[in-house]
Amino acid sequence: MTVGHGIFILIVVLALSFFSYNAQRLVRYMMSIGQPEIRTDDPVTRLKNLFLIGLAQKKILRDAVAGPLHASVFWGFVVLTVGTAEIIVQGLFPGFTYAAILPAPLYDFYILSQELFAVLVLAAVAVLLYRRIIVKPRRLQGDKVHSGDAILILSMIGALMVSLITLGAFGFALHPESGTIFQPVSLAVSHAFGGLSAGTLELGRETSWWFHALLILVFLNYLPYSKHLHVLTSLPNTYLANTSGPGVKGAMSYMDLEAEGAEQFGASDVTHLGWKSLLDSYSCTECGRCTAVCPANITGKLLSPRKIMINTRQRLMELAPLATGDFGEFEHHTLAAGEGGDAGHSNGSAALGNTLLDNYITEEELWACTSCRACVEECPVSIDQLDIINELRRGLVLMESRFPPEIQPAFESLEKNGSPWAFDPGDRAKWAEGMDIPTMAEMVERGERPEVLFWVGCMGSFDDRAKKIAVAFARVLQAANVKFAILGQEEKCNGDPARRMGNEYLYQMLARDNIETLDRYGVETIVTNCPHCFHQIGNEYPQLGGNYDVIHHSTYIEKLMDENRLPLNGEGKALTVAYHDSCYLGRYNGIYEAPRETMKRALPMMTLVEPPRNRSKGLCCGAGGGRMWMEETVGKRINVERTEELLATGADVLAVACPFCMTMIGDGVKAQDSSVQVLDISEVIAQQLVH
Amino acid sequence: MANVFAFAETRNGDLRKIGLEAVTAARNVADETGGSVDAFIAGAAGIGAHAEQLAKYGADTVIVVEHAGLDKYNPEALAATIAERIRGGNYRVAIFPTSALGSDLAPRVAAKLGVGLVNDVTAIKLDGDAVIVEHPVNIGKVIATVKIASQPALIGIRANMFTPAEAPRAGTVEKVEPVGDPSASRIVVKEVKLGGGTKLDLGEAPVIVSGGRGLKGPENFKLLEDLAAAFGNAAVGATRVVTDEGWRPHSDQIGQTGRLVSPQLYVAVGISGAIQHLAGMRTSRTIVAINKDKEAPIFKIADYGIVGDLFEIVPVLTAAVKEAKSRG
Amino acid sequence: MKIAVCIKRVPDMDVRFKIAPIGNAVDEAGLKFDMNDFDSWAVEAALQIKDKDSATEVVIISLGPDSVQETIRKALAMGADRGVELKADRIPFDGLAIARALAAELKDGGFDLILFGKQSADSSNGVVGAMVGELLGLPVVTAISKLELAGGSGSAKREIEGGQEFVEFPLPAVLTIDQGLNTARYPALKGIMAAKKKPLEVKPAQLGEQTVTVLKMELPPERPAGRIIGEGAAAVPELLALLQTEAKVL
Repeated sequence: MTVGHGIFILIVVLALSFFSYNAQRLVRYMMSIGQPEIRTDDPVTRLKNLFLIGLAQKKILRDAVAGPLHASVFWGFVVLTVGTAEIIVQGLFPGFTYAAILPAPLYDFYILSQELFAVLVLAAVAVLLYRRIIVKPRRLQGDKVHSGDAILILSMIGALMVSLITLGAFGFALHPESGTIFQPVSLAVSHAFGGLSAGTLELGRETSWWFHALLILVFLNYLPYSKHLHVLTSLPNTYLANTSGPGVKGAMSYMDLEAEGAEQFGASDVTHLGWKSLLDSYSCTECGRCTAVCPANITGKLLSPRKIMINTRQRLMELAPLATGDFGEFEHHTLAAGEGGDAGHSNGSAALGNTLLDNYITEEELWACTSCRACVEECPVSIDQLDIINELRRGLVLMESRFPPEIQPAFESLEKNGSPWAFDPGDRAKWAEGMDIPTMAEMVERGERPEVLFWVGCMGSFDDRAKKIAVAFARVLQAANVKFAILGQEEKCNGDPARRMGNEYLYQMLARDNIETLDRYGVETIVTNCPHCFHQIGNEYPQLGGNYDVIHHSTYIEKLMDENRLPLNGEGKALTVAYHDSCYLGRYNGIYEAPRETMKRALPMMTLVEPPRNRSKGLCCGAGGGRMWMEETVGKRINVERTEELLATGADVLAVACPFCMTMIGDGVKAQDSSVQVLDISEVIAQQLVH
Repeated sequence: MANVFAFAETRNGDLRKIGLEAVTAARNVADETGGSVDAFIAGAAGIGAHAEQLAKYGADTVIVVEHAGLDKYNPEALAATIAERIRGGNYRVAIFPTSALGSDLAPRVAAKLGVGLVNDVTAIKLDGDAVIVEHPVNIGKVIATVKIASQPALIGIRANMFTPAEAPRAGTVEKVEPVGDPSASRIVVKEVKLGGGTKLDLGEAPVIVSGGRGLKGPENFKLLEDLAAAFGNAAVGATRVVTDEGWRPHSDQIGQTGRLVSPQLYVAVGISGAIQHLAGMRTSRTIVAINKDKEAPIFKIADYGIVGDLFEIVPVLTAAVKEAKSRG
Repeated sequence: MKIAVCIKRVPDMDVRFKIAPIGNAVDEAGLKFDMNDFDSWAVEAALQIKDKDSATEVVIISLGPDSVQETIRKALAMGADRGVELKADRIPFDGLAIARALAAELKDGGFDLILFGKQSADSSNGVVGAMVGELLGLPVVTAISKLELAGGSGSAKREIEGGQEFVEFPLPAVLTIDQGLNTARYPALKGIMAAKKKPLEVKPAQLGEQTVTVLKMELPPERPAGRIIGEGAAAVPELLALLQTEAKVL
């Protein structure tokens, strides 16, 4: 054993020990501070996510510029880690090489992969550094977002690649006779060392090896102190994400209000969040993709989903060492810094007195959220920013009754009238007068059962514009000879506004009433034109024991078309139509094509145009998350931003598939003094029915 | 037990119209019972000068209480004096106005006498020993017919339901001293601010003139200000679009996310009637809509609608209201 | 400070009422009940005093059948300390009978302030608060929209036709609350849970003799359906005539 060998073994042991110590500390913080939750169900979907989002970098690649660059670094890292392992093992067991255990062709392939990926990563790092330092894209900027950490990390990676290349090149120069065509990079670089002596070459090789091996260990140990912790957490985070499949992924977490001894409802601090939210905070690299697509942020509101994640991590880093008795802990400075700053505590008791809510995240930020899920959709490492926002909203409403004053009438009407507006529940079925549409009660009395229940929703029942949508869809159903009924006065708001505004108590009251009604009639299949009713009843009622087959009208109309049940006149109108994606239909439930497809089939001569932000990248209309019932006084109005984009397509008709989008886009069109029509897809189709 | 007592409300030394309405209502009842009407008027020295007017509208006797301590409303002194008078007066019915003052006074008197009281009465009739009144309940959505069996029966009448009618009687003045010392009341009205100066709050204004996107810009709200001024008791409101655009302050917004109002009269100008707006004003007693689009949802809930150009219609309406007010 | 707030449970008014077969009451089937709005502002007024001085005790009193407990619990959820149900088969219309029952309960309570809503949305009579004050021999100020307390006295603003009246009074006193004083807080779930454990005493209401009774209830004639009376400025004279003669609002 040489002295160098002994030193290296010592260094590796120390480095791995220190890393393990830090790693277990971060895991302990997360698990002891966070609330328990189960994230191991449905392994098939989780593995699929791990493969597609994690390994295949599906979400990273949504950004056409940074995507391929990052993916190169990531894939490079995966490939080069195999080489790194060889180098470390070499240090521990001198003379070890994969050549000894791998068949020759495979070893050659391995050598080639290391060579090529080292260059690819180096090139990508160079461009990324250029972006960071020179280009400074807007999304990487932000209040106190620090580039220093990123530059340090990128530089380390660059240095690792350079040392890896020189290691190969010096080796090649020393023994050109054993070089192969699978070392093109080493061959090329070795030319630069042409005049050097064997001793110098050996020194160069030794130095490269030590530099590379030590830097790897430094890098590993730096990660727990850096926002680049994602290098370690992103894959587990993706596997553990709450993305078990369409629909379920957007469901808010179940809350047991009757739980014995329950005293905390929702969250006001990190101690009330699930451990996965804390893992999310470790995994945030502050890339800003979420904030760049946030409709609130885009239009000048205070909310930044990235800041929510950074703040969560900051607060965790502030509280956890104290709460877990880690008093000797020196701070994870970089993890505790960033957008919004820390809460500025001066001592332990001040730190314990802080909370995530108010000291880090303000009420104003939370109420600006439209729950559109664009941030969650965009996050390359499957962070769920909305989880934290929803839990904090619940805390505000359920614990402290703190909310914008203008939503109190909505809460009160929901409680008294079963609708967010104070209308007489007796008027619910008024839109259907003269249309010969039976209520469930009437149908049951006749001893009949409907094929489907048409869930009208509060907009369709009370809003004059949306009533026309209800009429149009009812006409479509009648034209297709679908035997359907409505609940009439027995229908109540599905509860989505209350739930999204944090009022879980009111939500469960409404949901349980509706489930009782639906079960009393033995309802199995529900169709609705409202994506909020659709999502809520279909995906969130199961939490309360309500299980129904809920179909959005776009999908249902498509099905009727497939079954040739819709008598369409086939007349062509050469319209140009721009379709606006509803968040609760699209991002929440993955339904992007049915609304488009049904219109195309009904209007053969129609031209469908797309605004720049469409499908999973679609911009919210501004009504979700209870924003429909809140004032929008800061910045540009979201509906105007969206409507401008839709109008810029030059369409004659703006099509929507949600009554709330209808109101927001309709208002946006009026605000632009435009005469472009806004139609629900069912209205487009009803116009093409054979009379 | 056949006489009728009427409280003739005054303010600042002036007889109020609702005071005469109480006398007329009392006269109607007394004509049926064959009894006499005792009108009660109280105030600072000189208030008795209204006796003649009260006689003209049917008071057989005018009970006058003059005292410096009755200059402003003095609930405790008035209640004590009235209760004593009614107790000794052989009255079948005692009538008060349902006004800010009357609603405060009548229950005190009723409690002192231990008799029944119904406020906000729209019709009175006699039935044997009992008095039967009509009284709107459930914010006017239901009419209750109520029997008052106590002797006397105390009734507060709703304003504008008993039109003052001349029915001259003797109006013999009977001066009475207040019971107790009015200057020693525990409740003291320090100050009364009337009209002008203070802008009417949307929540309290009997009339609201409200504008929407149809106004086209902040400068045109002058039209609505003028119309409100013509009504005299009106406040100006706006829709969410208008306040979002910054044409009017956010505090003026009527609707789900703004003020929830239900005035006697709501004039919606250039408002299409989005659900958010309707939710805040649909319980108004009478709704007038002016809009160029005859399909606008606002016409579905409006009692009276005019289709057309608001810029042409509103000034004409303003002039007409002004003229009607000057006549009335 | 010790404050009593007397509240009433009333039906929600956003519906079309039906008359019960008995003929002198509305059909309660399908009606939602809640605290009378004016009373909720009275509760809020008491709680705002308690917010400033936590030593304040706020007692909620409501007369009626056991269902009023739900309404009392709501006030407790808002933050009141305890409740008293004055149990009666039904809430009578006779304000004096109600006032006597409440006064009997309040008489020896040692309250510094007794608060009421100005009137109830259903009976619309607005007499109980002032009657209770009179029966207890306490100073009464009705329909206040602004309140300030200092030491043993208070000042209040009353809304009167076309103006305001500023009134001063000594404590203890009875006050009835008008719109505009405050906005009632929305009970948080935490408060709702806490309210379940707060004391709620049930006593029989001493209603005594009633001289005011409802004989009959009926729906007013249907408001004539809305109509478009004309186009342009030419329709203004007719509008004005309708406002004066039919709607009687001018």
